[in-house]
Amino acid sequence: MTNEAFTQLVDAHYAPLYRFALSLARNGSDAGDLVQQTFFIWATKGHAIRELSKAKSWLFTTLYREYLRGRRRDSRSSSLEDLPPGEHEPVAEDVDRVSRIDSAAVMSALQNVDEPFRAPLTLFYLEEMSYQEIADALDVPIGTVMSRLSRGKSQLRAAFVSAEPPGTKVLPFPTAKGERAS
Amino acid sequence: MTIREARFILSAYRPSGSDADLPAFGDALRMAAADPSLGGWFTHSRAHDAAVAAKLKQVEPPPGLREAILAGARVSDAQRSRGPGRAWIVGLAAAAVLAVVLISMKTPTRPESGPAALAEFAINDMANGRHGGKGEPATALVAELETKGARMPGAGQIDFERLRDTGCRTLNFAGRDVLEVCFSRDGAIFHLYVARRGAQPGDSPAGAPSFVAEAAGAAAAWSDSRFDYAVASAAGVEAIRKLL
Repeated sequence: MTNEAFTQLVDAHYAPLYRFALSLARNGSDAGDLVQQTFFIWATKGHAIRELSKAKSWLFTTLYREYLRGRRRDSRSSSLEDLPPGEHEPVAEDVDRVSRIDSAAVMSALQNVDEPFRAPLTLFYLEEMSYQEIADALDVPIGTVMSRLSRGKSQLRAAFVSAEPPGTKVLPFPTAKGERAS
Repeated sequence: MTIREARFILSAYRPSGSDADLPAFGDALRMAAADPSLGGWFTHSRAHDAAVAAKLKQVEPPPGLREAILAGARVSDAQRSRGPGRAWIVGLAAAAVLAVVLISMKTPTRPESGPAALAEFAINDMANGRHGGKGEPATALVAELETKGARMPGAGQIDFERLRDTGCRTLNFAGRDVLEVCFSRDGAIFHLYVARRGAQPGDSPAGAPSFVAEAAGAAAAWSDSRFDYAVASAAGVEAIRKLL
């Protein structure tokens, strides 16, 4: 691969890779390291991939594996069985809540989702990957992806509710007879 | 299928609607259309997903990350010889700093800029780039390119500055601006790249186009007195050949 082709590859993918890394690592410094490490691995090994259409999936998979590798070194990961089931169902107010907060707060809420759910959620939201593509990238079964998306979204909505400062709750406008408008 | 099962499946449905034709969602989608309560839940869920996705995409990488990646990669060969382990990060950082210093000292570089490199650039951008542009001149150029039987444009038909300044997608190839427009012909999608020729002594315009074929697609590159051109398509060499 020429320098130009590598530059194109970096330009096309480094920003979404950084966002993915930020959701996993929870801080910008470690996220930057993960992205650099991923491209370093590409530069040393990934150029053997001849099908450039597969480069994106390869980069996300590699970054995720590097993250897991580093995490295994540092601490014990959570067991899915230990995690509470998601119960927070979406309502119209949830959409308004997301619209009111800035992107950093949305990222912060995502970072508070339990780790096993964060990677599939991030790929779903940021890369609009299908459940099949997420399963391929993370090397987990399709059913597991669906389960993690469902539970992760519920946790994320709950995180938005918890993160919202007091006094910002939107109440339905009262009607003349004191009834609540629908 | 119960409501709970339908919700579980629809949680994996992308807000863009890209999954509408996937059989895995068929039953759950039909159920959402028939059941008002599930339909309402699905509407809110998709709106919420779209709002979250839009916010997350606003998160920007830190300044300098791109440059650090590129600088590190330039010296990756040297790093490989240092062996495995985390030590490469220290070396990579040092190499990145060295590369930045060298760049700031305007160390001469010799980027690959020939027709084959432009063709490879075109194929790679076709496969990985985020396409899209705007501007009336670009729209007019696309209309010309989509005219059945039309040949690829020559120097007299390209107003490079006007295209670039009015929003035509512009990339960088070997230090030169490259315009890119997408167009379709006979059911296939093509990408035309136009780069202004640099002052390269002894580098005369080539005659016949050069073809490059890779797994992601094919490209042809050629030049005239003012510009270097490449046209790329996943449809392959023969489809491109018909344009030239």
